Amino acid sequence: MAVEFPPEVKREFDELVAKYEQTRAALLPVLHLAQREFGYISPEVEEYVAGLMELPPTKVHEVVTFYTLYHKTQPGKHVIRLCKTLSCHLLGAHTIKDHLCRKIGLENGHGTTPDGRFTLELVECLGACEFAPMMQVDERYYGPLTPEKIDEIIDGLTDEPVVENVDEG
Amino acid sequence: MPTLTIDGIEVTVPDKTNLIEAAKMVGAEIPHYCYHPGLSVAGNCRMCLVEIEKAPKLAIGCFTPCQEGMVVHTSTEKVLQARKDVLEFLLINHPLDCPVCDQAGECWLQIYYMKHGQYESRMMEDKIKKHKKATAIGPTVTLDQERCILCARCVRFCDEISKTSELGIFNRGNHAELDVFPGKELNNKYSGNVVDICPVGALTDRDFRFQCRVWYLDTQDSICPGCSRGCNIQVHYNLDRPHHAEGRRVLRLKPRFNPEVNKYWICDEGRYGYKFIDDESRILMPQVMRNGGMEFVSWDEALKASAEKIKASIPEELGVLASPQLTNEELYLIRKLFVEELGATQVEFRVPPKEEGYSDDYLVKADKNPNTKGAEEIGLAVGSAEEILKAAAEKKLSALVIFVHNLVNSGLDDSLVKAALEGVETLIFIGSNFSDTSEKANVILPSATYAEKSGTFANSEGRVQRIHEAVPPLGESLPEWQILNELARALGLDWDYQGTEHIFAELAKDVPAFANLTYEILGDQGQTLGYVPPAEEEALVEHGELEAVRAT
Repeated sequence: MAVEFPPEVKREFDELVAKYEQTRAALLPVLHLAQREFGYISPEVEEYVAGLMELPPTKVHEVVTFYTLYHKTQPGKHVIRLCKTLSCHLLGAHTIKDHLCRKIGLENGHGTTPDGRFTLELVECLGACEFAPMMQVDERYYGPLTPEKIDEIIDGLTDEPVVENVDEG
Repeated sequence: MPTLTIDGIEVTVPDKTNLIEAAKMVGAEIPHYCYHPGLSVAGNCRMCLVEIEKAPKLAIGCFTPCQEGMVVHTSTEKVLQARKDVLEFLLINHPLDCPVCDQAGECWLQIYYMKHGQYESRMMEDKIKKHKKATAIGPTVTLDQERCILCARCVRFCDEISKTSELGIFNRGNHAELDVFPGKELNNKYSGNVVDICPVGALTDRDFRFQCRVWYLDTQDSICPGCSRGCNIQVHYNLDRPHHAEGRRVLRLKPRFNPEVNKYWICDEGRYGYKFIDDESRILMPQVMRNGGMEFVSWDEALKASAEKIKASIPEELGVLASPQLTNEELYLIRKLFVEELGATQVEFRVPPKEEGYSDDYLVKADKNPNTKGAEEIGLAVGSAEEILKAAAEKKLSALVIFVHNLVNSGLDDSLVKAALEGVETLIFIGSNFSDTSEKANVILPSATYAEKSGTFANSEGRVQRIHEAVPPLGESLPEWQILNELARALGLDWDYQGTEHIFAELAKDVPAFANLTYEILGDQGQTLGYVPPAEEEALVEHGELEAVRAT
């Protein structure tokens, strides 16, 4: 992977940086841009971003490792965020998790499946307690979940990321 | 200039002084980890909490500027309890490995725990495991993440002083850890300083680790001889336990605060440049060429042999290469003996280095000699090193006295050096370590290193600073000033210098730039050449003559 923004992404980068008084202030959105572009933030990407923003690479690494929403390794084709906070937990999120792991073939309960299709993250409240127990697949929320619904959702996924925001049903 | 009250004592402090510094002025110590006077304020360790009257809660001393009328208490019940609580937090994930930790004895967690902690541990959970334990993160420093309290002094040092930014605090919360960028190392010209400022055992010095427990070390103030900056240092040495560190006596150098020269720092080149002091290459006994080989002899014999050779030379046939590694006192005696008494005309101290030394815009100077300025002022340059060597090569010299220099590894032409060293009838080498040059000598007089003698160096800015004897001269070696004194006596002169202070007093009378200076005035921070005593200065200012005096 050549670590360099293509020209149109570089333009986006310039626009982002121009929004702030200090270049450094644009670091978070720039890292999201880089993650969208390269899939995850490797040390090489950090160095590339640091070079663009005239920051020491250590400062970029500090930010990347501080936030959980930046992937440090290549994630699966779909990133599943399963809520583990109170409402979902009370409504059986742990059994949902067990079933989900079996379904996608994940042995240790989190991380990326050996086939590289799924990454499971256990997260705090996503603000959709009315769907509890719920999960987010890529950009879309699903819930209330049952084992049957899990099977249906997973079986229905293509290789393309899910984009809609909210499950109306 | 606000006036405030700290622990019942009224004190007036300069604007922007923080409470930690103000408390120092009234003799109250506010404990702290992350605050360092040479770095920006971070305020993250929370150890320096103090009580300020009329303030709703405790405030951190490092980030609270003194204000008019403030009433501060540094050791009320509330403050003491807060310190205890902060320590408890800081120690949550700290391992109990003091018995095997090299920081023990100079660890601020230990010191403050004994002073302010002493609580029963309530920690029932497992400690969080960090990644790097005893891992080298560069050529000079070892990192132990679980001992780190995340004060970020080292991070700020690399950002603000060395400006290399190799260190950062990665991950967050309980898992936060100090580290270098993946695949990179902590490698800059000032990296050793992070060990000095690390208040705990997280960063230790690879060179010093496990050489000696710090409580066996003694210290002596000195000046780094590594370049013409003249950074103030402390020599840490161990004489009582020769079974440690393979018998080496000087075990590490530490920077010593001098706001005019090096602040709190020294460079790595200087810090690790002490090895020659206890090196195997040290010359331990006088030697004289006899029957085609060098023989160990007594000082009396060696001095007698040297004096005979020197006496036998007419002034024009006598060459002297002094060294800017020597102290002002010694250079002054060289001038007095060889130039004034013996009338030598071929005297120089400068020898060009093989290659231009490293220098930067912070501390490190290209001139790797501590006393070039002093040698210039004392006026030793009568010839030039090249001329002297040419004369020697052409067999126009009968005796050449070389102090310290290794000509073979210098910027002088190799074939000229070879011809000179072989061409001169008598080569007297006075130095501390064997070299390619000492090998060609007919007489070798072993001299002490800077850590084994007293005297003064003048740095590139003309600041005259004192060095002190930390350890006795190795073997039978002697300080050069003593050798010169004895040599003069062997030459029939009536010299009797009892110490370097004696010589310095004479030097200050004789050399204009040193006028008015005494060891007392130099103190432990030095004083600049052309010093005018305060009383005289006032008078001169009154008459508008100060500038004129300074200009001379």
